[in-house]
Amino acid sequence: MTKTLIDGLKERVSNAITINQSVGVILPSNNYSDLIQALFEHVQSRPEDEWAYVTITRPYESIVKQFGDLCSGGNIKFIDCISRAAGLSKINPNCVFIESPAHLEKIIMEIMNVFKNVGDNVQKYLIIDSLSSLLIYNDAQIVTEFFTHLTNRTRLSDIHSASIAIEEEMNGNINKIIYLRSDKIIKLRESFI
Amino acid sequence: MDAYVITNIEWIEEISMSEGMVISEERRTEENVVCKTGIDELDVQLEGGIPVGNTVLMVGSSGSGKTTLCMQFLANGARQGERGVFFTITEPLFKLTKNMQGFDFYDKKLIESGMINLIDLRIISERLGLDTEKYTVEDASALLEVLKDIADELNVKRLVIDSITALCYRLQTREMIRDFIFKLGSSLAAMNCTTFLTSEVPPNEVKYSQYDIEEFIADGIILLGDIDRSGDLIRTLQLIKMRGTTHSRIKSAMSISSKNGIELTPLLKSRA
Repeated sequence: MTKTLIDGLKERVSNAITINQSVGVILPSNNYSDLIQALFEHVQSRPEDEWAYVTITRPYESIVKQFGDLCSGGNIKFIDCISRAAGLSKINPNCVFIESPAHLEKIIMEIMNVFKNVGDNVQKYLIIDSLSSLLIYNDAQIVTEFFTHLTNRTRLSDIHSASIAIEEEMNGNINKIIYLRSDKIIKLRESFI
Repeated sequence: MDAYVITNIEWIEEISMSEGMVISEERRTEENVVCKTGIDELDVQLEGGIPVGNTVLMVGSSGSGKTTLCMQFLANGARQGERGVFFTITEPLFKLTKNMQGFDFYDKKLIESGMINLIDLRIISERLGLDTEKYTVEDASALLEVLKDIADELNVKRLVIDSITALCYRLQTREMIRDFIFKLGSSLAAMNCTTFLTSEVPPNEVKYSQYDIEEFIADGIILLGDIDRSGDLIRTLQLIKMRGTTHSRIKSAMSISSKNGIELTPLLKSRA
């Protein structure tokens, strides 16, 4: 069941992110790990692409513990926005630790730095995990501005992005942000397979 | 030489055969030579860089990144073959180099090769036999001559005085300060040397200098500051003035990291 679910997620999300510039993914919290696993499997199956993964939900160390060494392929860099604020960060060449999830401009700078020296012929992808977590640390107005600014920058740089939102954390603010700025919305249900 | 030269020579020749008249107009030849800071986003905001020979006031409170920005400016220039000199009056040289060692832009070889020269103004003052705490008009003239001679002898294209506030403190009168900065700026401009003068101001005050004179003499003002967002301090940079350019005036968020040094991106406008 889990394997089928992950394969289904992988196909749906990878197709959407390849075709569309900006994808919003809304999912129930109990499917969160399945989605992340599906995304990482997709990343590892495409070593020729370049990925940036912004985590505001779980510390980088915790992601590595659960999903293993994801950086061996050298095609993914992490931007961890919560570990340093919690006093947990270590130095790691595969991860940039941002001081605070409220330093939204720094998040944009580090995303753009990941792709700075990537060739024009390489496909570039960005995962924001998650918009709903970002709203824990910032108010809706500034997150809207951040997301608008970020999607403008990523579109100009030919970076495809997928922004995750947890269904249980959805409210009017997240709806507005994700629906207005995404080219496509994928709402995941266990029953969709 | 890192100077980025934009030459615009344009001739317009319009011939009206029916009237048998030839109208020729030579448009003024313009040559704008700019000194690239090497900080990409800042150079974009400056429309290429700082006009060569400008004297720029780098304003900020303690910890705002003035010294780091100045050192990165010198290091980027040195890598392009432009010699620089950093005059310090606030920090001993060993502390300055120790603080810079953590940055990737800092390379000891640039100092060993003489592309960047670090000079303690207090030591120069002592060697000149000046009172290091208080300068007379004659002392100020002597110091100015030494600064000019060093810049001339080393053929420097980038010069930093850190800080002009500490130097002005020793100059005693507003007239002496005005005279000193004006003469320094004019001499260095004649040598095609671009100068950064750091100016210390109290935090959260709309003020460009301690003595309210420095900004009027300077060709440019770069203001470094902070904003508070949810209790976190976000560094900011804003170009206030830059003669010879139609520069941006947006407020940028500024980051200082060991890997990339100074980086800028537009500051989000919404209040947290």
